[in-house]
Amino acid sequence: MPKITLNGKSIEVADGITIIEAYKQLDEPIAHYCWHPGLTIAGVCRLCVVEIEGNPRLQIACNTVVQDGMVVNNNSEKVKTAVKWGLDFHLINHPLDCPICDQAGECELQNQYMEFGKYDPEMAEHKVKKRKVVDLGERIVLDTERCILCSRCVRFTNEVSKTNELGIFNRGDRSEVGTFEDKPLNNKYSVNTVDICPVGALTSKDFRFRQRVWYLKDKPSICTGCSTGCSVNVYYNEEGIFRLKPRFNKDVNGYWMCDEGRDIYKHINKENRMVRGRYKKDGAWCSTLPLETAKKAGEKLRTYSADQIAVLVTGQYTNEELDVFVNYAVNKLGTKNIFHWKNNPDGWNEFDGLLLRGDKNPNSKGLQKVLQKHTVGGEWKDLVNQIDKFKAVVVAGPENLQAYPDLKEKIGTLARLECVVWATADDNIAFEGLMDFTYLIPQKTSVEKSGHFTNYNGLEQKVDVVTTLLSDSLNLEETVELLVGESVDMSQREKEDMHVMKKNYFTTERGRL
Amino acid sequence: MEIKLLTEHYDKKEFRFIEGYKKLGGYETLKKAFSLKPEEIINEVKASGLRGRGGAGFPTGVKWSFLPQNGEKRYLLCNADEGEPGTFKDRLMMERAPHQLIEGMIISAYAINSPKSYIYVRGEYNYPIKVLEKALQEAYDAGYLGKNILGSGFDHDMDIYRGAGAYICGEETGMISSLEGKKGQPKLKPPFPAIKGYLGQPTIVNNVETLAAVKYIIRDGAEAYRKYGTEKSAGTKLFSVSGNVNKPGTYEVPLGYPLMDLINNECGGMKNGAKLKAVIPGGSSAPILTAEEVQKTTMDYECLAQMGSMLGSGAVIVMDDSNCMVDMLKVTLHFYHHESCGQCTPCREGTGWIHKIVSSIVNGEGRLQDIDLLEKIAQQMMGRTICALSDAAAMPTLGFITKFKDEFEFFVREGRSKVKEVRAHA
Amino acid sequence: MFKLSDEGINFVKKELARYETKRSAIIPCLYRVQKENDGWVSPESVSYLSELMELPEAWINEVLNFYTMFNKKPVGKLHVQVCNNISCCMLGARELTDHLCKTFNVKPEEISEDGKITISKVECLGSCDTAPMMQINDDYHENLTPGSAEKIIKGMLNGN
Repeated sequence: MPKITLNGKSIEVADGITIIEAYKQLDEPIAHYCWHPGLTIAGVCRLCVVEIEGNPRLQIACNTVVQDGMVVNNNSEKVKTAVKWGLDFHLINHPLDCPICDQAGECELQNQYMEFGKYDPEMAEHKVKKRKVVDLGERIVLDTERCILCSRCVRFTNEVSKTNELGIFNRGDRSEVGTFEDKPLNNKYSVNTVDICPVGALTSKDFRFRQRVWYLKDKPSICTGCSTGCSVNVYYNEEGIFRLKPRFNKDVNGYWMCDEGRDIYKHINKENRMVRGRYKKDGAWCSTLPLETAKKAGEKLRTYSADQIAVLVTGQYTNEELDVFVNYAVNKLGTKNIFHWKNNPDGWNEFDGLLLRGDKNPNSKGLQKVLQKHTVGGEWKDLVNQIDKFKAVVVAGPENLQAYPDLKEKIGTLARLECVVWATADDNIAFEGLMDFTYLIPQKTSVEKSGHFTNYNGLEQKVDVVTTLLSDSLNLEETVELLVGESVDMSQREKEDMHVMKKNYFTTERGRL
Repeated sequence: MEIKLLTEHYDKKEFRFIEGYKKLGGYETLKKAFSLKPEEIINEVKASGLRGRGGAGFPTGVKWSFLPQNGEKRYLLCNADEGEPGTFKDRLMMERAPHQLIEGMIISAYAINSPKSYIYVRGEYNYPIKVLEKALQEAYDAGYLGKNILGSGFDHDMDIYRGAGAYICGEETGMISSLEGKKGQPKLKPPFPAIKGYLGQPTIVNNVETLAAVKYIIRDGAEAYRKYGTEKSAGTKLFSVSGNVNKPGTYEVPLGYPLMDLINNECGGMKNGAKLKAVIPGGSSAPILTAEEVQKTTMDYECLAQMGSMLGSGAVIVMDDSNCMVDMLKVTLHFYHHESCGQCTPCREGTGWIHKIVSSIVNGEGRLQDIDLLEKIAQQMMGRTICALSDAAAMPTLGFITKFKDEFEFFVREGRSKVKEVRAHA
Repeated sequence: MFKLSDEGINFVKKELARYETKRSAIIPCLYRVQKENDGWVSPESVSYLSELMELPEAWINEVLNFYTMFNKKPVGKLHVQVCNNISCCMLGARELTDHLCKTFNVKPEEISEDGKITISKVECLGSCDTAPMMQINDDYHENLTPGSAEKIIKGMLNGN
């Protein structure tokens, strides 16, 4: 393990790492744009310059491997001046359109200028004009004038997605990033280029102009879009969730996530949710508080004998919830007729080689484990084969209904039963197809509860409450308690809501300062 | 006095074809080389003191000895992407002595144990490429290339790659990128090409003149070669002289040759008897020398370094006193602005910025602080980038503005040239 | 739709096999396309080449836009490239360029109305001892005066 000195501080680092990695390890500030730990080294922004004792020339930290005894600094006047000018070189042709740029607030040009800038612009010539608002397909907008040509996005499409759509065309200060003839950048991982773009050159169509970033908070969570279970940060405020971004996890997703996963926040937001509990009586829907619906459903279920009840469950709940739920089915309802509903049994094992999997549930592995524990668990087709013997079904339905394209068809089958009790986070027009004695019990989503998901690889990952969007909705454990006739104390909810409200209020206020 | 080693047979048309070349002793040195061990050749080249003739002046034998001893396939690339403004010596060499280059390359390839070489020629050199293609075919037909050359057991294939118009491909790693089918953008060092070059394999890149000189070092021995030149600048060098002289052209003189002698003897003195104003001694990247400095200049690596300039590619641009230095800097900077590959920010942005500032001055819109600003920018462009193009733009800028400051100040103050009317061109 | 001739397609196939990697064939193949497409490389020909070579369009487009010898827009039958670098400028290259543009009524880098001529200013062509000089299509013309250059071009235009 080489010992080196950075800015006067001694540090022991792993063999073969670069100086910039040592700076990161020490949490010492160092300017950089092109370096990204998930990509190859480009060494072109020339901002991470450091002075190495015994070397008269400044070196770039990203392409210099540490050697035992190295004495390095980036706080001498020589380095500071080089960085100041380096930043000015980046800025001389960069448009001053921060007020209308969606990157403002999380722009590395802004951030690093604040820290390392020259504060004395001397550019008096005309700036180079380049193309703005270039439409790059479903998800991305490009502003070539704002681009600082760090080449991160190009390296991403060459090295990670291996789709090779992006290039930097022309040369010198006429260089422009883009796709050939503005063809769409519609690969399955395209929005990562937006994440790694240090400036406002690549912006996400889904997110741009919807919220200034300083009005957002973020908390860690796990993407529930498929069984890979990518680590993410969820960006939200009191209006809801605005976006997901990947969070580094060397064991799961590295620095990246897929575009599909980024969309899951949409089903979490209020507009798609089952807000009130609902049950159908005499052909009409009655609306109640979620807990009332659950109580009523429990009463109805108790009128059936064990062998009349089937249970259908999806891998969209936490291990803790599934444990309670399956235990309830086996020991309270007394049934062994428990069936695993999969989104897409044929493509269940599909994998694109990077992150995307055919199993669109965050916790199929966890569910399988619970089912094995009780030696229960059939497939959907098993349920269909014996459907005539059942009178009632309890469904722990998918949180993300979009991932279950056969929802309507399945509902058509279940509607043949006398009673359907369905725990669901989202609302959907397909529920209209259910008959009397249907109970729809609003559930919390993955960002509103704590627990664990077990990914495809058996890795158990914790999720914590990010925010509460619907304080009345229940988790599956609470649902089970209500189904068996126990009471749930909802008085805590008020507090939880208030707590969140206060925090968000504070964030909003701070942003307005 | 010219010493004609590499240029001895330039005027003989038959030297361009294999029969004539052989008649004049061609490919005899190759036979000699095969009687030596590769290390012996490397040592001979080291002992000769030969330094790269493309511009950087790095000792050739030392460069070769950087190759890792790991059995990896090695490539030899001949840098014939002659693009430094003022330079045309390699073009003449390819046109008039193609076999001399090919022979030098086979010897060098044998020395470094490389089975494959490319001659990367700038795309504009259409005619030299044709000459080389023919010569290469002749060499293959005569058994100097291919399998088991002259029964030596050494195999070597050689090919020509035509560039497509980019100065930066003359930088050795830019050339490698280009040969790999990419933009000719220089690569980060380390690793150096000798360790990881073309397609990640150990690669040696040498200039046309360097590789041709290897032939003469092996033919005559290092000691004979060292007789020419100075201790640190051994051998002869081809100088491309252009500008306001009576007989511009390529001249081969021993290194250490006085610049004034080159101008007065070889080049027949100043055109129309005009007064010498300045000389750019090593291609447009080399800082300019004033007439006064020229008097003391000898054409070798150490003297020019001492003068704050460089020998570079040996392109000597001679200027008489009708030239406006502000205008000349503008022309020079247009080139670097146009040729910056765009990769490193200080160069991409800096070349454009200083070009714009000097253009503003020429347009009569200069501000007094612009001269200081040019200096500040140039200082920050030096030593900050992957390759030397940024320095190549900054160094002449500093040279022009320090040595001819009065002309710049006059232009800013008066809005016109101190020397002559600089017209706006279409 | 642009298509290479059979001979051109064979050329591409040979170049793809000639070098250690397919990518190295991009430059030679772009030359071929330019030759068969009236002296310039159109976007559709890039897509065509991408398919033929099985290489991403972005890679080909990067190369196309990096090197100056590939024309990204139509050029005249005579592509006159006058060196405007330092040695040539010292000896009147700019005046020469102005003269030619005026004589042939065309702006630099633009194609004449009849499509017969384009006059470009280019960087050093490595013929500084014979300054000023120009390249017309593949050939160098050296030691020019405005008059001699005009005469050369007129001769070629008439010869066409």
